[in-house]
Amino acid sequence: MDVTSLAWRNLWRRKRRTLITAFSIGFGMMLAVTFTGTGDYSYTNMINAGADMGLGHITVEALGYNRVPAVSKRLVNASKVREEVLSLPGVADAMTRISGQAIFATARKSIGGMFLAVDPAMETERHNLFIRSIIQGELFSEKNGSGVVIGSGMAKKLGLKPGKKLIYTTTDINGEIVSDIARVRAIFKTGVGDIDGAMVLLPIDSVRSTLNYGRDDATYLSIVLDDYRNTGKIRRVITESIGNQQREVLTWRETQPDLAGIIAMDRWGNYISQILVGLLIAAGILNTLLMSVMERTKEFGMMMAIGMAPRTLFKLVVAESVWMALAGLVIGIIITTPWYLDLYNVGIDFSGSIGDDYSAGGVLIDPVFHIRLCMESIIAILAGLFGLTLVSGLYPAWRWLHGLRRLKV
Amino acid sequence: MQRIDGYKMRICKFTRLILSISLLLSFLNSSPALSRKEKPRERINSILRHIDDLWRGDSSYAVFKVQVKTAHYTRTMKMKGWSKGKDKSLVRITAPLKEKGTATLRSGNNIYTYLPRTDRTIRLTSGMMMGSWMGSHFTNDDLVKESRLEDDYYADISFEGIRNNRNIIEITLTPKPYAAVVWGKVALTLLADGYIQLTEIFYDEDMTISRTFTFTWLKQIAGALRPTVMRVIPADRPEEFTELVYEELKFNIKIKDGFFSISNLKRR
Amino acid sequence: MNIFKLAYRNVIRSRRRTAVIITAMAFAGFIMILFAALMEGMLMASERNAVTMDVADIQIHAVGYRDDPDLYKRIEHPDQLISALNMAGFTAAPRLYGFALAASGSTSAGVRLRGIDVDLEQTVTQIDRHIMEGKWLDNDDLHGVVIGKKLARTLGVSAGDEVIVVGQASDGSMANDLYFVRGILKSVGSEIDSRAFFITDEAFRELMVIYKGAHEIAVMRPGRQGSLEKATAQVSGLAPDYEVLNWRQLRPVIARIMDMADTQLLVMILIVYIAVAMVVLNAMLMGVFERIHEFGIMKAIGVTPLQIVMLIYIETMLQTLCAALPALTAGWFVAGHFQKHGIDLSGTASGASFGGVAIDPILYAHASSDAVMTPVVFLIVIAMLSVIYPAVKAALIEPVKAINYR
Repeated sequence: MDVTSLAWRNLWRRKRRTLITAFSIGFGMMLAVTFTGTGDYSYTNMINAGADMGLGHITVEALGYNRVPAVSKRLVNASKVREEVLSLPGVADAMTRISGQAIFATARKSIGGMFLAVDPAMETERHNLFIRSIIQGELFSEKNGSGVVIGSGMAKKLGLKPGKKLIYTTTDINGEIVSDIARVRAIFKTGVGDIDGAMVLLPIDSVRSTLNYGRDDATYLSIVLDDYRNTGKIRRVITESIGNQQREVLTWRETQPDLAGIIAMDRWGNYISQILVGLLIAAGILNTLLMSVMERTKEFGMMMAIGMAPRTLFKLVVAESVWMALAGLVIGIIITTPWYLDLYNVGIDFSGSIGDDYSAGGVLIDPVFHIRLCMESIIAILAGLFGLTLVSGLYPAWRWLHGLRRLKV
Repeated sequence: MQRIDGYKMRICKFTRLILSISLLLSFLNSSPALSRKEKPRERINSILRHIDDLWRGDSSYAVFKVQVKTAHYTRTMKMKGWSKGKDKSLVRITAPLKEKGTATLRSGNNIYTYLPRTDRTIRLTSGMMMGSWMGSHFTNDDLVKESRLEDDYYADISFEGIRNNRNIIEITLTPKPYAAVVWGKVALTLLADGYIQLTEIFYDEDMTISRTFTFTWLKQIAGALRPTVMRVIPADRPEEFTELVYEELKFNIKIKDGFFSISNLKRR
Repeated sequence: MNIFKLAYRNVIRSRRRTAVIITAMAFAGFIMILFAALMEGMLMASERNAVTMDVADIQIHAVGYRDDPDLYKRIEHPDQLISALNMAGFTAAPRLYGFALAASGSTSAGVRLRGIDVDLEQTVTQIDRHIMEGKWLDNDDLHGVVIGKKLARTLGVSAGDEVIVVGQASDGSMANDLYFVRGILKSVGSEIDSRAFFITDEAFRELMVIYKGAHEIAVMRPGRQGSLEKATAQVSGLAPDYEVLNWRQLRPVIARIMDMADTQLLVMILIVYIAVAMVVLNAMLMGVFERIHEFGIMKAIGVTPLQIVMLIYIETMLQTLCAALPALTAGWFVAGHFQKHGIDLSGTASGASFGGVAIDPILYAHASSDAVMTPVVFLIVIAMLSVIYPAVKAALIEPVKAINYR
């Protein structure tokens, strides 16, 4: 007796019902894909954007700097640490940087802000949001020169243009007040008012000498990974490799707790809704399969009468739920794929309702929502739905069989 | 002659500059081989070197009045100030009563202010540098930057002759490329006779006037004819001003380095 | 024939099917009520942090103050204006602002001084209840100050420590005085956490030498009810020489986020209910097919299609109401519990912020009538929609075919 093909045919005896159930599985898939995919996309973007804003996915800094930043807390032998880190797998890049607060002045006006001192040889557009957002001019090319890159907000407030000079005043490592001159090489615009109005990029060696730092001192090493999901693992490896009493190796969750918080909350919300929808779909499948078994009691009775073993009947029911699962997955793939492709390529543009400077956890959010699903997620969704359907089908089959044993047909 | 505050600094420095120029001129007059127009770079350099030599080891004491008029308030303060060398100075307020005893110490790049009302001394942070000094049109930054005028600028004589019926010399100071100053240029105008300062004008990078210092009220003080009143007028609010008036002035006083200390700030 | 009785009996007849439908709907309804209550609680908390903690409903400033804050751009007779506002039913509080340097030990930080009228402020905002450590301001303690969480950390101070404040007073003199940290606030938002320095208005006036006027008047609608636009217009009428803006205009990003969150919730509910709809659809459809024979006979004896549709609808309604009731009760109870105790997410999220406003990691639900009723109403609607197909199918049965259907 070919259980498989019989099961298949049984399924199509009740076309409508099968289709509706299969469709509900498909719907579940579309939902799971959408929720997980847009979530993944947003989180990945936010985490990477946060990393590009200066601190990276993993940061190596002086002990206690994260809690209370201070000029005196610095990372020594920064280039050696960098070399070590770059040799590790999974690390896309590592940049030494100095960060601090300063007053920026022209003859007209002065305002407070922050600087990020970088080595242009180490920096790329890919891993530096500010460089990526340059709208006029170019990043300075020397690390010990007098160039500066400022935000559009600051340019406006101080009346600066490329070529003009800016004097910055800050406190050096001995607590003394120091000043230096810089000429505007480029202007960037991230869209976040606070950043555009208060942030500048300076050449790292110039700042080192202004602050009276050692030749190889920095505030932190910003480490960007190929895949942020390896953060925990790589952090451990880095700590083993270069950790010591004076240093801390922190992940983005620790350096940007607000961002981590928002992502965590959103993820929870996502999980709960998906579980809920999953349960409901399971209920539907359960009901359908149970009904289909119940209403064929007579039929099954007859089959047993002509010699079919109960176990075979059980296998039959299981096969039916397997077919149902597959049908559901196929329908799911059919309806989800165009939707996914559209979201992947075009995305949904919320900029009408969100606007330009929407930030969560301190990171700018792209108002166009795309979708990205990694292999693990795809497998998880398919397996989950398949398993769900199977389990929902098993229960009625088992119960029925059990009940049958005590009943005479 | 030492700097006590911005104004004094300029008086002293540029008076010295002028004296040096006049010295040099007289030297030049007696050596026809070196004319005024030849090797101007060398001439300025030697002037500046000359000034530097006049500087070291000098000290001063002054009593002066500061009057500030802004759109929102007018205030008058009386102060005493001491200075030694290029980077040590101490200024103490003697009037009005509310602020009596407030003292500012400058030692190198550090500025400390003692506040008698709370009996606390605070160290100025970089965040306060661009803030106004005692509510005047000077900034705390001015106090620090003044001693570095010669380090930070090139000096050139940009005009000599008659202007407004007076025989004047105009010296233009252009910031050196790596000097941390916000100005585009500074133009100093002096009377040719006696090299007395008339005005000092600060321009921003676009060469628009940003603020103007005027020097008036010539008096014999500390052994020479000097302007005793300096007024600074911001270009964007010309009805406002800050005015310094010298009442007493002495140079080369005996004063120890230890005088310029945080503990000394508190004394009344 | 009593349709209701018939419907009732039909429902009772196939217990399992009924059970499945009711359970699915009740469960979904309950979870959605909980979700809505939690979401509303979270939104309320954020709005509270953003709005009722600091911004209030409406603010009045001297024209030009916001673009270029200045000690001198003040509202001239705040007392008069506040009386006028009170008479119109609003609560209002005057505020004074200034920038200064705060220093403790060897650290210092730029701060924004906020002179607070202690009595009036609590009629407008709830910041006095947002203390993490220590106490709120008190008019009898002129040297007691309250600062933000991050500022306390930067300065390295806790309740009881001394802080000196230095700034420029309105007469140009150097304003300075000693204060003691009376309280430290819980997280409110990035600006307040790192720069806010709350002192009593009397202390501010003395420090900064400003004895007349206020920089800002914060206004709150009575009970926070009523149209915000109307209130704004009303207040503008009372203060024609000044700039009057409401919180949506002052904090457009937060306003947008709140609006989006409402939409997000509805979308969530809709999606979950679609899943419910499919369960209901499937179950009812099977029910119709089970009873095809029956329907055939009914039509044969003269039951109209409309009556059949009504029958199906009533059956569905009975089940829906049976689901709605437990969902409502359970939802209301559980949401109520979380309203009191909150869900502590601080394990996963020690801090979170959205658009610069802090989100409390302990989520409190808010079982408002909206949060509770909307999911139920939606449930009913979805249920009605999902049985259209089975009902129509049943109504259009041809009696002869049906009776012979096997």
